[in-house]
Amino acid sequence: MANGNMKPRRIISGQTTQLGRTVHGLAYNPVHDEIIVPNPLSDAILVFRGSADGSEPPIRAIQGPCTRLITPHAVSFDVANQEILVASLTGKTIYVFPWNASGNVAPSRMIHGTNTKLGHIVGLGVDPTHNLLAVANSRDILIFNRTDNGDVAPHATIEGPRTGIEDEPWQLQVYRGKIFLAASNHLHQNLYAGCVPKGTYSKVPEDPWLNPNLGFVGVWDITDHGDVAPRFKIGGPFSGLLHPVGLAINPKEGEIYVSDSVRNGILAFLTPDFFEEKTQREVR
Amino acid sequence: MATDKHGLQKTTHSFQVRPRSFAAKFILIAVGALVLAFMTLGQKASNQNASCCGGDIAAARTIVDPKPVFNGIAVDASNNIVVMTDGNRKSLIIYSRTASVSGPTEETVPLRQIIGPETNIGFVAGVVVDPKSREVYAVNNDIEDTMLVMPYQAKGNVRPRRLLSVPHQAWGMALSPNHGLAVTVELHNGIVFYAPSANGIDAPLRHIQGPATGLADPHGIAWDDVHNEIAVANHGNFRGLLKNIGLGCVPAAPGDETEVGKFEPPSVTIYSAAAKDNARPSRKIQGPATKLDWPMGVVVDSVHNEIAVANNGDNSILIFRRTSTGDVAPVRAIRGAHTGINRPMGLAIDTKNDEIWVANFGDHTALAFGRGDEGDRRPKRVIRSAPAGTPSAGFGNPMAVAYDSKREEILAPN
Repeated sequence: MANGNMKPRRIISGQTTQLGRTVHGLAYNPVHDEIIVPNPLSDAILVFRGSADGSEPPIRAIQGPCTRLITPHAVSFDVANQEILVASLTGKTIYVFPWNASGNVAPSRMIHGTNTKLGHIVGLGVDPTHNLLAVANSRDILIFNRTDNGDVAPHATIEGPRTGIEDEPWQLQVYRGKIFLAASNHLHQNLYAGCVPKGTYSKVPEDPWLNPNLGFVGVWDITDHGDVAPRFKIGGPFSGLLHPVGLAINPKEGEIYVSDSVRNGILAFLTPDFFEEKTQREVR
Repeated sequence: MATDKHGLQKTTHSFQVRPRSFAAKFILIAVGALVLAFMTLGQKASNQNASCCGGDIAAARTIVDPKPVFNGIAVDASNNIVVMTDGNRKSLIIYSRTASVSGPTEETVPLRQIIGPETNIGFVAGVVVDPKSREVYAVNNDIEDTMLVMPYQAKGNVRPRRLLSVPHQAWGMALSPNHGLAVTVELHNGIVFYAPSANGIDAPLRHIQGPATGLADPHGIAWDDVHNEIAVANHGNFRGLLKNIGLGCVPAAPGDETEVGKFEPPSVTIYSAAAKDNARPSRKIQGPATKLDWPMGVVVDSVHNEIAVANNGDNSILIFRRTSTGDVAPVRAIRGAHTGINRPMGLAIDTKNDEIWVANFGDHTALAFGRGDEGDRRPKRVIRSAPAGTPSAGFGNPMAVAYDSKREEILAPN
């Protein structure tokens, strides 16, 4: 077993990569063997070769006024439809680009507006079978039709005390109609608007990572709606999860990879049941 | 045994409970700013180790570096200490300035480590010291949004003497005991200034921000009290401001091009220490001759009229003339395999003892060089938080993960 402290096999870093040091999203395109990375600090989406290493520059960058990108924070890749999905926290917007978009190009679609309920959005994932898009939002999961565009209301919402989702659910993945979510439950309170205090707080908030309501990994059906408990869940003191944020899946090996900022590390869980198309052991 | 901020033991195995016999081939790539980490394994996971239906199950494998990894660094020659921030285990560590190690398997014994949930230390970055008040100032980067002040004698899980809210994504910090405290803000391309005694929700006294400033993803910052200037290291990522959403491809008004995100070359910008608002830099070091590549920490040596930069992208320390501007080459550089410089972050200068210090993020070391060293020189002393050769996962708050099914690799950004 690995001793838990390994050097990375490759590192993509340096000025020529055009990466920033604040990268909160990541996706892999298995069809074209590409890595997709947002750079929120330059309003750009970068695409690298799958085998990129060192100070290798991106093969494409989506950036410019036509893109309408504002602090792109998270990305996802829709394999079936060959589209890049982008979430903007500050713009409260979801953008969709074709897989090979490059330069100063307009998005194919944008979900934005008061009807959308989009707030603190991070995780995104498409279920091509149901043609639905799941979005990790401020305190819930919003479900849109995959091809929604404009100021549209979500098709369904998974929210409420039974869900266990509190503040800032983070990265999610969708696989065979199931939503895999890193429900972080950390509460980040931003006292500033840019460099100026909002003036709405009377004291320094508690450290967001010290929220006693710990996070977990939850699995829902993409057809769920309302205050629905997760069908599967990983969490608790034995799991080592405190406030999980990143989440990737490996259905072939039945594994879930979870990053936890408090641990400053990655944990791998072996849960093949989670990936079965039909299971009798769901634990509602 | 020391504990982390959640009271868990700071060991690699603190949350690895299940022994396993497998070895899926696993690779972690690091994308993004620093390193990333990864791991290997052995054989494939067997379903015998799998858990039905989840619950409070142990991780099959973990990738965690149990040792402190240095980020910011500050030296106090009058009190003979050097202080490092450690974003990995979320601590502040104070060493004797003259501490070193006698062999590669030895770890340097710190004077004190400040760690635990009461400290409010998180993904901590910049650090400065005030020799007169004997206080350490450290700023959390993402997402605690706080700066904390600890007395030199603080140790263990103690509350900070002062805790100040700062803007999101603060990174670098500079202190002028008589004039103020300056903090860089990556996300907002800004610098905020506070009174040195600022506490709680005290508001900044002023800030520098705007398209004329040349600030673009600012990181390190230094205060030159002798010449009344401030120097800032910029990565060059310029984020558009919140404007024009949905207005189409053409900027709506003259000047709106500044609202668009763009990549600029990295730079070191210098301002009057009294600058504010959309002030232009008085000088800017920028261009291919500078060799700047992800400049992190920056220090001003007002005695020798030099500016030094921790050049993260090419594992070097660059030294420029203090008054340089434009596309100028550094006057010298410390770079090469013998230097031990490995993804340098923080930088500190000690003119009393004629030394320059660098904190490495790529391993578990901080290095002291002669101030005038140049080329592929070995450091004078090494401080280690782990035996030489100990791998470092290189994580810096990994907020996302992806799986490369072709290579069976895990990718993580910083």
